[in-house]
Amino acid sequence: MTITAERVDEVVAALRHVLRADQVLTSKADRYNRARVPAPFPVHRWADRLPDLAVLPESTEEVAEVVRIANQLRIPVVPRDGGTGLTDGAVPLHGGIVVDVKRMNKIHEIDLANRTCTVGTGINMLKLNEELARHGLIYPDDPASYPCALVGGRIGTSGWSLIGARYGHTRDLVLSFDHVLPTGEIIHVGDGIGRKITKSSSGYQLKHLFMGHQGTLGIATRATLKLFPKPEAELSPFWAFDNYDDAYACTGALARAGVATFAGAVLFDEHKVAYLRRDDEAYIPQPKDVRALVCAVMYGYEDEVRPAGRRLMRIARDHGARYLGDEISAGDWAARHDRYATPLHGRTKAGQVVPMSWHCEDASINYTNLPAVTREWHAVVAGLRRKSDVFDDWGMFAYTNGSTGADYLTEIDVGIWEQQLDDRAWELWVRAKRDLAGVSLSHGGSISACHGSCREGEVDLVPDELGRGFQVMLDVKRTLDPNNIMNPGKYLLDRAYEPPEART
Amino acid sequence: MSGPYRYDEQHTPPAPERVSEVAITTFEHAFEVDPRLMQQWVLQQTFPNWDTLRIMSSRHDHLEWMHAHFATKVIHGSELLAGLEEPGDLDDPSVDSPAARPTREVLP
Repeated sequence: MTITAERVDEVVAALRHVLRADQVLTSKADRYNRARVPAPFPVHRWADRLPDLAVLPESTEEVAEVVRIANQLRIPVVPRDGGTGLTDGAVPLHGGIVVDVKRMNKIHEIDLANRTCTVGTGINMLKLNEELARHGLIYPDDPASYPCALVGGRIGTSGWSLIGARYGHTRDLVLSFDHVLPTGEIIHVGDGIGRKITKSSSGYQLKHLFMGHQGTLGIATRATLKLFPKPEAELSPFWAFDNYDDAYACTGALARAGVATFAGAVLFDEHKVAYLRRDDEAYIPQPKDVRALVCAVMYGYEDEVRPAGRRLMRIARDHGARYLGDEISAGDWAARHDRYATPLHGRTKAGQVVPMSWHCEDASINYTNLPAVTREWHAVVAGLRRKSDVFDDWGMFAYTNGSTGADYLTEIDVGIWEQQLDDRAWELWVRAKRDLAGVSLSHGGSISACHGSCREGEVDLVPDELGRGFQVMLDVKRTLDPNNIMNPGKYLLDRAYEPPEART
Repeated sequence: MSGPYRYDEQHTPPAPERVSEVAITTFEHAFEVDPRLMQQWVLQQTFPNWDTLRIMSSRHDHLEWMHAHFATKVIHGSELLAGLEEPGDLDDPSVDSPAARPTREVLP
C-alpha cells in the first residue's frame, strides 16, 4: 500500500460515481492476483508490488473517467491486459489503481470489404480468431502467449509475433486505436487520423509513439486491426545438425531466400538442444550427434507453400540438415503458440529436479553478430549458475524478426527457482540482466525485440541505447503526463520530474 | 461405474526402459524423468495408467486443435522431400548455397 486507507476510501468513493460496485475491487485476492506477471517475480517482495485497488471498466469513457479521477487525486494508474508481459509493464511499483481491461472484450465490427475489424482491447487473439474463422479470416498476431495475451497488452508492448516475417508484428497489424491520455483525454491515433488507413504521411506518426510505452503514456481501449485470409496450408519443417555453425549458416540462407510465404526461421543452439534432450519427449530419443536445430515456417495457399517449401527443404539439405520427421515438425511448431501453458522444471547442479519458472531475456541482434552474442550470453548465465542453484541455463534460440534475415529476436531461456529467491539471488539476477543487455548493445543490437526493456537491470542501459532520444522520451512523458500518474517508476521516466540538471 | 480401472493393474505401467542418462520410458512415447532425479525437491507422482494415456492424448488433441486454428491443412516435410531430386529442382542459382555464403562488402 502506498496510500493511506483514508485515501483509498476517498478514491473508491470518487470512482463509485462513474463505476458500479462490481467494477471496483479492493479485496486482498483481487489485488494480489493483479500484481504479478509470469516473468520471474520477486515473490519474497510480492507485497511491495500491490495495487491499492483494481477497476474493471467496460468502455473508453469509463477508462477516461477513472484516469481523470486518478489525475485529479494524484493516484498512480497501471493498465493491465493479459498480464503476460515479460518486462513488468503491468506490475504496480507505487501502488494505485490497476485498470484491468478484460471486460472491454467485444468485437464491435468486422468489415469484410476493407478486411479490418474493430475490437475492445481486452479481447484475446485466440477468441477473436475463432470468430474471424467463420469468415475465412485471421488476425495473425501470434505471441508465445497467444491463448492468454490481449490486444491491448500487445499495443502497450508493441509486441513481436512468431509469424511476423510473413504478416508483420503488432505495430504493422494494429491500424489505429482509441487511447486515453494520462490526463483522461481521449484521442484516436493511427496513420494520420484514419481508422482503417494503412498508410498516411499526414502529421507525426503518433501510432508508434503510443505503442510499446508499457502503460506509461495511457491506455488503449478500442483498436482497428488488419485482417488476412486464414491460411490454407502450413508447413513447419524441423531439421537437426551435428554442429552449430552449419545450423547458423542454414538459418541465414533460409531467411535470405526471399520466399513470399516465409513466416519465420528459428535457430536453436547446443545448450537448447541439451535442455530439450533432458525434458522434451521429441528430443530425448535423438542421437547424441544432434547439437543444433533449425525450423522454418510457412503459411499461405497450398499451391504457394508446396513449391516454396521444396526450395527451403533443398536449402536445408544443402547445408547438411537432417529432417526430423513429420511428427516432431508439426507437433513442435503447434506447441510454440502456447508456451505459457508448459509445466517446467529445472535441475540443481547435482541433477535433482526442482520447480522453476521460465524466463527469457531477449534482444534484437543482427545475423552476423549472433554467434558472438550467443557465446557471451551463455557465459553470463553460467556465472549465475556457478553462484546459485536458483538459476538454470535452458539454452538459446534466434528467430527471424523479418522476411529478409537482417536481425533476429535473440533469447536466452533461464529457469528460475522462484521459491528460493531472496534479496541476494534477486540482486544476482538483476546484475545478470544488466550484463546481458550490455552484451547486446556492445554488438550493435537493441536491448529488446519483443518484451520491452523497462525491468530492473536492463532498464539502466536504456539511456545508453537511446542516447539523446532518451531525453526526448522524458520530455514527451512530462508533457503528456504532467503529474506522473501513469505507471510511475517504469523506464526511468521518474527522471522527467527531476530538475533538468539531475536528469542524465 | 463397475470397471476395474481403479485397481492394482491400472497402477502398474509397463516395465520402464532407460532411454537416456536422465529419462526412462514406459508406454510407447511416454517419457519420464529418471526417478532417481526426483527424490529431494519434487517427488515423482504415481498416475494410473489411464491417466497417463489420457494426458498424452490430450496433448495430441491440443496440438491438432492448434494446427486447425491457424491453417486448414498441414503440409508435411516428407511429402516435399520425395520430390527434391526431380529434374529442374536442382542447380537453381537463386539458392543461397553453403559455397556462396554472403560476406559483407565494405565500400570505400
